[in-house]
Amino acid sequence: MQRTSIERVAAATPAPVARRLTGLSDRVIAWIFVAPTIFLLLAVNIFPLIWTIRLSFTNMRVNRPNEPVEFVGLRNYQRILTDPDIWQTMQATAHFLFWTLALQIVIGFALAWLINRKFRGNDLWTTIIVLPMMLSPAVVGNFWTFLYQPQIGLFNYAVGFLTGADPSSFSMIADVRLAPWAIIIVDTWMWTPFVMLICLAGLRSIPASIYEAAECDRASKWRQFWTITIPMVLPFLMLAVLFRGIENFKMFDLVVQLTGGGPGNTTELTSINLKREAFEKWRTGYSSAYAIILFVTVFGLASIYVKALNKVKSR
Amino acid sequence: MAEITLSGITKRFGPITALDDVSLTVPDGAFVVLLGPTGAGKTTLLRLVSGLDQPDAGRVQIGGQDVSTATPAQRNVAMVFQQYSLYPHLTVRQNLEFPLKSPLLRLPPEQIARKVGEVAEVLQITHKLDNKATALSGGEMQRVSIGRALVRNPAAYLMDEPLSSLDAKLRADLRIELKRIQHDMGATFLYVTHDQIEAMTMATHVGVLDHGRLVQFGPPRQIYEDPVSIHAASRLGQPRINILPATLFGPAPAGAAHIGLRPEQIRQGEGEDSFVRRVEHLGDQTRLHLSFHNHDLITVTDAHTGLKSGDIVRIRPEKPLYFDASGARIHQE
Repeated sequence: MQRTSIERVAAATPAPVARRLTGLSDRVIAWIFVAPTIFLLLAVNIFPLIWTIRLSFTNMRVNRPNEPVEFVGLRNYQRILTDPDIWQTMQATAHFLFWTLALQIVIGFALAWLINRKFRGNDLWTTIIVLPMMLSPAVVGNFWTFLYQPQIGLFNYAVGFLTGADPSSFSMIADVRLAPWAIIIVDTWMWTPFVMLICLAGLRSIPASIYEAAECDRASKWRQFWTITIPMVLPFLMLAVLFRGIENFKMFDLVVQLTGGGPGNTTELTSINLKREAFEKWRTGYSSAYAIILFVTVFGLASIYVKALNKVKSR
Repeated sequence: MAEITLSGITKRFGPITALDDVSLTVPDGAFVVLLGPTGAGKTTLLRLVSGLDQPDAGRVQIGGQDVSTATPAQRNVAMVFQQYSLYPHLTVRQNLEFPLKSPLLRLPPEQIARKVGEVAEVLQITHKLDNKATALSGGEMQRVSIGRALVRNPAAYLMDEPLSSLDAKLRADLRIELKRIQHDMGATFLYVTHDQIEAMTMATHVGVLDHGRLVQFGPPRQIYEDPVSIHAASRLGQPRINILPATLFGPAPAGAAHIGLRPEQIRQGEGEDSFVRRVEHLGDQTRLHLSFHNHDLITVTDAHTGLKSGDIVRIRPEKPLYFDASGARIHQE
């Protein structure tokens, strides 16, 4: 008699696959499930990486398939690391990274802190704040070019309204000094919500009872903020920096839409520069070496950073 | 140290009245234990005294001053939370230092270190001082949480079941330790517990709460010997008071619906026959589960009794307590 539901379910469940396909151990089955993913990773990540390393030691150009490919040793690397234009690009990238991270962390945390106060409609506000993040970067870049338009742009008008300056007296995109900031502002506008969401998760992970204990221990709100809120949100903040740092290091779409790297090469970030070398000048070997240098840089920085993150988390 | 006075405290959470017009005075230097079943409002009462919550009606006074609208910091009370509430990112030492590092106190570092060392010694957590607060067992966390209150010298200590997750030996040690602190420092304690041994041994006064009402307040012996209701009588005494129909043993006073018999109010070897259903040897005492006219009751007998289940023992009530149908006590002349 099958009386309990457990017995009924057990009877209705087919025998384990492994038992029916004789000769397959659990381990083999596990490998069968994992193999497609491993194969895909090898094909689209590991193989191209190894191939790029190989190309970086040659003078190959893909637009001249008939020319013989010569092995040039470390010459590509030497040329890149001594090129002042590339160092200028690196500097522009570092400047962009620093300011986007700083602004997004500060504003994102502040917004999260405000949203985390219990007030009516904070869910609605969260949704509104998060909207920019859901848009396509290409679309965002495109409509910000309109906002930055000196004659009709809303941004210029707003700045003019607040500072009294003539809106058409400056162009965010065409001015050598302002163009980097044009990108920083758009990126911050678009991605601060992401940082806010991570910070919000951090803030919500702190139980109210901890604050109550601190309240009884006679800690002021200020001291609670610095000795409880900040240390407990810190791992989340660092995670946000990691995500945004990696994303912004390879920033491409927004910049192409907004400035295309100009004016001159003031907003030419490494990713744009690399794309130019590889697919406009067609210097395949040279740009491979460039890509490897960037890869090693990012990989090294990220490893150090993740170590630091783990240290903070285990503290 | 200071006296705490609550007058007409009412607290509601939506449709639920957690505390209903509670008035209570905790004398300076007293050790008041709040007893009551889960949901009776014990924790709510502590939170109102601490200032974490505000009452809907009534006033809280500490040391003669009205602190009804004051913050916990201004009230200067130390609280031990049932769920520990340690600072998880700090070490045990930093947790214990936290209240002492309040800018309100401005204590020199040596004094902080000495105080932390003393308290750690008392709570037997000296070897854990440099551990992270999250890398402790439940009992250790609870001790740190008690320690965080003891390092201070507050107007009153508020403790919410502070010994509940400790093992029996440590619990007995800390019972004596807390009692000593209260005695030596003249500290005022407001203490919530389920444990009736804690209530009997530590309390100078016991407050019995039932559905948000303070039903009885007095010394533990008085609550034990002279309870106002079945509810209050059931709070103290191990095994629990037996509640039986009033006329089971013969005539009862007018209006009595129940007779209450504590083990020592059941005289054995006299009266009517009862049937021994089960014998529990606890070492220092032996419990008898009896059946008397189809009613079950539990009493205590000699540790080395020869009785076994199936035996017949004669029992007779001695100075029993009578209660009316609503559970209120009936006093006889």
